Amino acid sequence: MVVEDNPPVKLKGVGDGFWITLDPSMPESILKEDLVKLFERLRHLAINARVVIDIGGAKGYDGLVQNLSSFLKTRFDVGIVTTPPEKRSIPVERIRQRDLNRGWTSHRSEVLMLRGRVRSGQKIEAKKHVLITGDVNPGAQITAGGDILVMGRLLGHVHAGYPKNATAIILALDFRPSQVQIGEYVVSDLDAQKTDRVEFASVVNEGILVQDYLGVNPFGRLPWPEVV
Amino acid sequence: MEGRIIVVTSGKGGVGKTTATASIGAALALEGNRVAVIDMDIGLRNLDVVLGLENRIVFNIVDIVNGRCNIRQAAIRDRRIENLFLIPASQSDNKDVLTAAGVERIAVQLKQEFDYIIMDSPAGIERGFENSVTAADEALVVCTPDVSAVRDADRVIGLLYARSITPKLIVNRIVPAMVARGDMLSHEDVMEILSIELAGLVPMDDQVVISTNTGVPLVMRNESKAGQAFRRIARRLNGEADLPVEVPGAKTGIWNRFTHKLGLRK
Repeated sequence: MVVEDNPPVKLKGVGDGFWITLDPSMPESILKEDLVKLFERLRHLAINARVVIDIGGAKGYDGLVQNLSSFLKTRFDVGIVTTPPEKRSIPVERIRQRDLNRGWTSHRSEVLMLRGRVRSGQKIEAKKHVLITGDVNPGAQITAGGDILVMGRLLGHVHAGYPKNATAIILALDFRPSQVQIGEYVVSDLDAQKTDRVEFASVVNEGILVQDYLGVNPFGRLPWPEVV
Repeated sequence: MEGRIIVVTSGKGGVGKTTATASIGAALALEGNRVAVIDMDIGLRNLDVVLGLENRIVFNIVDIVNGRCNIRQAAIRDRRIENLFLIPASQSDNKDVLTAAGVERIAVQLKQEFDYIIMDSPAGIERGFENSVTAADEALVVCTPDVSAVRDADRVIGLLYARSITPKLIVNRIVPAMVARGDMLSHEDVMEILSIELAGLVPMDDQVVISTNTGVPLVMRNESKAGQAFRRIARRLNGEADLPVEVPGAKTGIWNRFTHKLGLRK
C-alpha cells in the first residue's frame, strides 16, 4: 500500500473543535472528497462543531475557503467555520501596550505644526507631516514628506508625500488649492468650488481624487491611534 | 514730537499708490500737519506730476542722500496747501543709487522736520521697495479688487511682517455696481485673503484722472468720492482710529435713489 507523505487534507481535534489543514493548490473536488472521508468517520461529532480551515497563510483562496465552509455546513451540519486567527505582530503589540500604559507621551513626533496665515510667496517645507491652523493663501507653497492638514482655507500650492509617498493625503476645511501633488501624481486646474464639506485629496487608482472627508473617513478605520 | 514715516506700497504696479500718497499727504496737510510726500520711484518719478509741481524741481531725494543739498532745499512747498512738501525722485538715476543705510540716515532728519512723511514706494519687491520700507514706521498696502493685485499685496504683506511692520490695507477702485453683479471681488473677498486691518475703501472715480492730469490734489475736489475716501483715511491715520469705514455703494436707500434720479446726488 502506498502511503501518502503529505495528504491534501489533515484533520485534528483542537479543544472543542476541529482544525483542518489543507493544501489550497489542490483542485476543489479532491479536497471535498477527502473532507467527506474524514467527516464521515466523525459522524455525529461533527454536528455543531467549531471548524478552523487553515490554508497555511496562502493568499487568494478566499473563494475556495468560502465554498468549503458552506459545503461542510450543509453536508455535515458543522457549527462555525473560521480561518485561523491572524498572528499578532509582537512589535506592534508592544507599542500598543506602551501607548495604553503610558499614554502617547513617550513618542517623539515629526509633525510640523504651524499657526497663522501662509501668504503668497511663502514656502513651507517639512520632512514629515504638516498641520496648519490657519489659511494658506494663493501663491503660497507647502511641501511635506507626509500628510498636509489645513484647519482653514487651502488656496495655495500643495505637495504631500514628497518625493514618492503616494499614501499621503491633503485635507482642508475649505479645500480649494491651486495645485495638488501627492507623491509623483499632479493635478493642476482643479477648479474646486467652495463647498460646506471638509474635503481631502488622496491617490486612488493611479490618480488624485478629492472626496468628502466625513463621507470616507480615511483615518476613522484605523484600529488604534498611531503616532505619526 | 517725532514724525511718522508711512510707506505706501502694493507689489503690483498701477493700483494707485501715487494717487494714494498724494491724496493722503494732502489730506493730512489740510488737517494741519506738516507733511512731506517722498517719491521713492527713482528713475520713474510721477508724484511731482500728480501734485502739479514738476516745473519747480531743483533737487531730489538722491541729491539729499548723496549730500548735495539739505532737506529744506529739496522739499518743494505746495502753493495751494500749506504745510505740504514734496521731495521728488530723480528721473535720470536708477534705483541702485540709493542704499538702505542712506535712506535711514535722512529718515532721522525727516522725522525732525515733519509730522508725517509719506513715502511712495515703487512697484515690485526689489531694491526700490527695500529702500522705501527700511525706515518706515507704518505701511499702507494699496490693492485693487483683482486677483492679481491681491496676490501681490499678499506677498508684500508677508515681507512687511517679516520686517515687523504691521500693514494696513486700502482697497482702491471699487466699482459698487460690478461688485453687486458679482463681476468684481468685494472688499470682503479681499479681506478674506489678506486679513489685515482696513485703513479704508476707495471707490472708482473719474475725478482721479482729471486730478492727475491737472495736478490739483484729489482731496481738494469736494465732489470727488475717492477724494472724500482718502480724506477719511487720513483722519483715521491722524488719530481718529474709530472713524467707521464707509463701504462704497452701500447707500441704496429709497431717498438716495430718489435724489440720484433728480440729479441732486451722484
